[in-house]
Amino acid sequence: MAAPQPTGRSRPTLLLVIVAALTLLTMQFRGFGPLDSFQQGMRDLLDPVRSVSESAARPVRSAWLGVFDYDDLRDRTERLEKELARMRGRQLSSEADGELLKRLMGEVGIEYAKLDTVVVRILGTPPGNSSSHTIEVDKGLDDGLAEGMAVVTGAGLVGRLEVVDRSRSIVRLATHPAFRVGVRLVGSQDEGLARGGGTSGHLVIDAGIRPDVQVAIGEVVVTSGGRSRFPADIPVGRVIDPDAGADLDREIIVEPAASLEHLSFVNVVLD
Amino acid sequence: MTGRLRVVAILLTAMTVQVTVFEEIRVSGVSVELLLLVSILAGFHGGPERGAVVAFCAGLLHDTITATPMGLHALVYAPMAVATSHLEVRLARSSRPFLAVGLMVAMVIGVLSTMLVGGLFGLHGVDVERLARTALLASGMSVALAVPTSRAVRWAVTGGLPVNVDVRGSGVELRG
Repeated sequence: MAAPQPTGRSRPTLLLVIVAALTLLTMQFRGFGPLDSFQQGMRDLLDPVRSVSESAARPVRSAWLGVFDYDDLRDRTERLEKELARMRGRQLSSEADGELLKRLMGEVGIEYAKLDTVVVRILGTPPGNSSSHTIEVDKGLDDGLAEGMAVVTGAGLVGRLEVVDRSRSIVRLATHPAFRVGVRLVGSQDEGLARGGGTSGHLVIDAGIRPDVQVAIGEVVVTSGGRSRFPADIPVGRVIDPDAGADLDREIIVEPAASLEHLSFVNVVLD
Repeated sequence: MTGRLRVVAILLTAMTVQVTVFEEIRVSGVSVELLLLVSILAGFHGGPERGAVVAFCAGLLHDTITATPMGLHALVYAPMAVATSHLEVRLARSSRPFLAVGLMVAMVIGVLSTMLVGGLFGLHGVDVERLARTALLASGMSVALAVPTSRAVRWAVTGGLPVNVDVRGSGVELRG
């Protein structure tokens, strides 16, 4: 006996909605403004509801964390205490180094970059399961933020603003596979393009650096500035694999300077 | 309330619940995929045509709340609804556990497809371990909500409108 089938009219309907979806995708990737505005407007409409929901869920979440993640919290506190002790030890030598650096910078005519920043609180991961290496923060257009702005911590580059709504924003972390940033190797002064390394948690400089340039392990990498949206000289990280043996397709692996896990607050650099 | 209004109500409710309650309840960073569940159930109860349209709208709403490119989820949800509507005819007299397994499989395929398409458009890297973990967790959590969601979706997509099913070979069109 033949298996029953739905009517053949489903094919044109399915074809129609697939074509519509592809058209919308194409328009979005071509930067069709009304689509972005519609999405942003809908998210802004839902924002008060989300805020109420988050406030209501906060005590429950805290209780849950207290009961089920107590060991993790204790380990984290111990780690932070050790880190604080180490940082206090380094403070004195850093002050001395800072004075020396200031004098040297003055001698070569370079001024300290005075970055105008806004402190934002991390809310967590953005809605949905389909994105990774992104975080949601609690400020948006109303606070002067705009798409593309650099996000940093005291240690260095964290990422950039990907989506900015009225009172929330989504940050694309520097390890996101689609993240790109112009970088400069402090030792050789060679400039290149770094991309996020995804799950490896590193950045990869895979364009712009000459194959014959000597790059040392531990060499500091900073943003190159210039035409990039990122201001110059923000620390990006340190080289952990210079890929010295490579020919044309050299891939220099960089460990990010800023820890991208367990963040609570970050700074957005205003243009 | 007309059929269309019911569908709009169910979609807006699902979107709101997804972005509020289910974003707060995450297991290992993974949340319920309520709009995908609604899409699949719309195909199951409403047939391929209605299922495709409801799923397309659900996908657009999902794209809106997750700030993903408009059309990305719709591209996956609509075919999933149509595929499920085909299965519905075959599984019409199946037991509830069997239907639950079928729904779980459909959810896993839907979540995996969405993430693979997202990877294709550069939303994230394709990490097999993460894909598998997310698909299984999201599907499992979503299937746990299947009974009340199924009732609500059935009320929305079949309310006052007939469902056409053509039985191949018999030349008979059944109206549900």
